[in-house]
Amino acid sequence: MNVKTNNSKKGDIAISGLYDVIDPEIGLNIIDLGLVYQIDFVEENKEIIVTMTLTTQFCPMGDAIVSSTTQSMQQSFPEDKIQVNLTFDPHWDASMISEEGNKFLNY
Amino acid sequence: MALGWGSKIILGASHQLFPVLIEGKLHSNFLAYLSFIFAATGIPLLVFSFYEFDMGMMARTGATLINLAVISYFVNLWLSMSNTKKQNVHAVFAFTSVLWLFLTTGLGLLLIWNFTSHTLSNDSLHYLSLHAHLGIIGWFLLMIIGVGSRLIPMFLISKYENTTKLWWIYALINIGLLSFLFLFLSSPRSELYFIPIALISSGIILFGNHIYRSFAKRIRKKVDEQVKISMLSVAFIIIPIIVMVAIIAFFTTVSSTQLALLYGFTIFFGWITAIILGMTFKTLPFIVWNKVYHNIAGLGKTPNPKELFLNSVFIVSGVSYLIGFLVFGLGIIQRNTLILNVGAILLLVTAVLYNFNVFIILFHKAKINER
Repeated sequence: MNVKTNNSKKGDIAISGLYDVIDPEIGLNIIDLGLVYQIDFVEENKEIIVTMTLTTQFCPMGDAIVSSTTQSMQQSFPEDKIQVNLTFDPHWDASMISEEGNKFLNY
Repeated sequence: MALGWGSKIILGASHQLFPVLIEGKLHSNFLAYLSFIFAATGIPLLVFSFYEFDMGMMARTGATLINLAVISYFVNLWLSMSNTKKQNVHAVFAFTSVLWLFLTTGLGLLLIWNFTSHTLSNDSLHYLSLHAHLGIIGWFLLMIIGVGSRLIPMFLISKYENTTKLWWIYALINIGLLSFLFLFLSSPRSELYFIPIALISSGIILFGNHIYRSFAKRIRKKVDEQVKISMLSVAFIIIPIIVMVAIIAFFTTVSSTQLALLYGFTIFFGWITAIILGMTFKTLPFIVWNKVYHNIAGLGKTPNPKELFLNSVFIVSGVSYLIGFLVFGLGIIQRNTLILNVGAILLLVTAVLYNFNVFIILFHKAKINER
């Protein structure tokens, strides 16, 4: 897990919630899967920007994963506006899976 | 009817999966619906005409509607591919397969006209093997390789990638099929048919090797039953090839009808059925899950797509399918009615359980446990 953030305290709260967002096919959460790249807290706008990817572009489950991420973040930060940006630069690959994630998949 | 089932499910699944292959959006849902409507009306008309063996107006209408379905499908994929900047080998496989499908259904329509109006130089039955192979190799095989070479490594989370090998497979199969077409139309000796068989078999063996290497380099160690049966289907492709070689080698000594039956059976009920059985329960639960949960997934704990059907029923249907396939194949070789009946009953059990599980998925209602 290597999520960049500009507010480590709030970042930990966000990540803790995102552990509950599961990729429905793999059965692993999006943090250990390495799908979340960055969480930026824009204090003046009360806005949170999550930059994340999907295991494959135009993944049929993409909408559901983005929607789950938005709702999880909204539950953690009810007062803030949540924006989820998808990026495919860099493309996700298996090296982004955390040690915990690898243990889960090797089970 | 079996062809109708196979074609409809592959048409539906490929509309859903083509965006994954091209990494772009499907151009038009309207064309997809249009393709569905044409196929859904055309296939039953054609099936009934075959049942009655009446190649008149109903058969012509059915075949025309199927061609319209294929044209809508072809145009949709063409425009989808044109709209995306990225082209890749998987998409090219899928798109080429649709070109072969168009040739297959076009020839099919011509053959139906030929039954009554004698447009072609030979009777329609003469062209049946050409029609069948364009469909089986051109449409089914290329589509399955295009989609399978993308999805199976994806489901396994495999580190293995080899685009060059996939291009070789593409070239071998297409050149093999073109050479078959040429040999068929120029009517040479049957021994020359070993050329397309060798080319296509080489492509299939390379595809088997590609899947094996993807499996060996997978990160996800626990492989679910749906992927296992899909991988087994890849191994099953080798059976009809052996039968085909036997048809050519022993054509004069063994009953060609018996071998031809076995050949057709091992293709459709071996390879194609196995991959459809596996991939139905790998893709359909996702399609339904996405429809039911995509707006509410983050509100609480939802079932996983694989929990949308009964895995125990899937396993029983898989076992009855494998035994049924072997028993029925043995029945064809032995020409034994009792063995054939036992095999048919087991395959019927598979079909009933398959439908049961499919309907459980289709009628799934949202279940969500709030966090």
